[in-house]
Amino acid sequence: MKKNVVYSLMLVFLASIMLTACGGGEDKNTITFWTPLTGDDGAYMDQLIKDYNATNPEIKVKHVITADMYTKISTVLNSGKGVPDLAIIHADRVPGFVKQGVLEPMTTVLESQPEINKDNYLPQAWATGTIDGTQYTVPLDIHSNTMYYNKDLLKKYNVESFLDDDVVTIDEMLSLQGKLDEGDYVVNDALLGWVVLAQIQNLGGDIQQDGKPAVNTEAMKQAFTEIKKVADAGLMTPFGEDGYLMFQSGNVFFSTDGTWSSTAHAAVEGLNFDVTNIYSTTADKFTNRASSHLFAMLKNDKRSDEKEQGIGAFLEFIRENSMEWAKAGQIVASKQVIEDPEYSNYMQSFFTSNEKEIESLYIYTYEYYPYVAEAVDTYAADIVRGNVDLDETLQTMQKFVEDKIAEGSKGTE
Amino acid sequence: MNKKSFTPYFFVGPHLILFAIFILLPTIYGIYASFTQWNLMNDPVWVGFDNYKTILFNSDSTFYTQFKNGLKNTLLFVVLTVPILIVIPLMIAVALEHKKVKMKGFMQSILYIPGLISISAAALIWSLIFNKQLGITGNIFGSTVAWAANQPYAWITIIVLTIWGGVGGNMIIYRASINGVSKDLYEAAEIDGAGPIRKFSSITLPSIRFPLIYTFVMTTAGAFNVFGQPLMMTDGGPRQSTHVLMMYIRQLAFGHGESIAGMASAMAVLLGLVILVISALQYYVMNRNAS
Repeated sequence: MKKNVVYSLMLVFLASIMLTACGGGEDKNTITFWTPLTGDDGAYMDQLIKDYNATNPEIKVKHVITADMYTKISTVLNSGKGVPDLAIIHADRVPGFVKQGVLEPMTTVLESQPEINKDNYLPQAWATGTIDGTQYTVPLDIHSNTMYYNKDLLKKYNVESFLDDDVVTIDEMLSLQGKLDEGDYVVNDALLGWVVLAQIQNLGGDIQQDGKPAVNTEAMKQAFTEIKKVADAGLMTPFGEDGYLMFQSGNVFFSTDGTWSSTAHAAVEGLNFDVTNIYSTTADKFTNRASSHLFAMLKNDKRSDEKEQGIGAFLEFIRENSMEWAKAGQIVASKQVIEDPEYSNYMQSFFTSNEKEIESLYIYTYEYYPYVAEAVDTYAADIVRGNVDLDETLQTMQKFVEDKIAEGSKGTE
Repeated sequence: MNKKSFTPYFFVGPHLILFAIFILLPTIYGIYASFTQWNLMNDPVWVGFDNYKTILFNSDSTFYTQFKNGLKNTLLFVVLTVPILIVIPLMIAVALEHKKVKMKGFMQSILYIPGLISISAAALIWSLIFNKQLGITGNIFGSTVAWAANQPYAWITIIVLTIWGGVGGNMIIYRASINGVSKDLYEAAEIDGAGPIRKFSSITLPSIRFPLIYTFVMTTAGAFNVFGQPLMMTDGGPRQSTHVLMMYIRQLAFGHGESIAGMASAMAVLLGLVILVISALQYYVMNRNAS
């Protein structure tokens, strides 16, 4: 009789042990490193870490790819258990994380590694992590919206001159109206939201005014109106069709996707392509809306000083050796890598070939940028295709962002 | 304190523990979260019924519009798929009972296997099938429409995928329960001169009443939780007309930028209430009619 009670208790005990064991242990001699890098990117990062661990550092790095990383981050931060020692986060997360106080400044890391400094990285990648004079992140790369072009098609229609000044304007694209064979298109609608956000810069606008979101603006309206012209002229790949695939099958002049797609395009047999800047509303300015992968340390009291030293050593290794990362198609943030002649073999080196190109890589750092981007992504396609009324939708988008911000700010007061 | 009184707990215990940890506590916490403003990072701030008021009554609010649109699309999905997911499996199960049907096990497997394939993999296959350039719809049937971007085609792709994947599960349940019906009843009916339709309506249907109620309630509850199919096939488009409630909930809680988990929880609780009420109604109505 008593035995049964004991057994039941033991079972309960065992079960609870098993469940808590899921939390995972923390190892003094390993840097747990979380990234959201699924797919090929993860494999390139694995290789980098393998190379680092092969140098026999005092503290080795363990790479954990987490598809749902941001959700998991909030879970571990709440419980305080299993917080990774190092993580890769996206540029647009930094302002929010810093405001919520969940990022540890990189101060000790920077003190121990003098080469990890502002001058050795692409300026905007570094600056994304600087908030009120404190450095919270160290950049790995910039990944940007880019425009691939089909060399053969440009030649066929004799419009290679579009590329002379490195900026294809909307007017240039419109000049092809009525001149195309059936089934050919000038541009697709891949990453359309990013293209819209680039035009806002080209038009001298912004997505915020005095910290308040500015979505329903003249610049936004003009950006949409200009892009819509291309769609209205029948030059954009039809709504709902896979424009990315149509570019790869050789029917589209320009594909506005990302730096990371170069490897996929290169794998297409017979596709003769190269890369240039995202098309612009004006010949005077071009912008490639970008984001960045950044190394960051989430708040964790248990992270020892030795570990921070270890993290510093790892980041210094990455700064010197991240050529591997260029294979993933990304614009490496470390100047030492991009100044290496080997880097020019990679297509994305175009974007660091001169000062003007580097400047064109624009990372939005507005605190509520993610909400603005979500609004733009949600409505962009329907606006450009004329499925919805522009003015009305801009109002909806403005409200969308404001409502979301209102919810967030109440929660943190 | 006799021996008997503890033995049952010994058996139920493990399940109870798992149920409490993975179902009961999260549910309670979810309900609590729906009364708060919470970004998943900082501590939740109690706001009482604010979230519910916004969702249900503040017609200017984005969340009101999202909830309304999401619930409308979800209901549409339920109405469009649930009847088909009951009728087709039932018809197949009855058809497979026919003496002249060969290779019953094989047919059953073919119909059941799609249910084992993950929604994302299945959606990739079907979006290629419906692809304008590569797919069957364009090349064989000469459709010139981009299905995922135009209504009613967008709903058709979602429904086809759902039915393709969902037919097998209910069919197995119906087959098993039809097998359990005494053959004597059918023989007696045949002697009395009953035709196939009469046999179906007077013997098969009443005999599998409980499996029918069960599948009806479960299929409906499952359909309300639809998420993967529209996300993968249409991403909520065109013009958010296939954007179901679960997609809004997920976007709010785990989307871009700071999480709006309190509002998302409130929407989830409301969806849960809708499912609860409808399931209870279904059970009540069907059970009463049956008896």
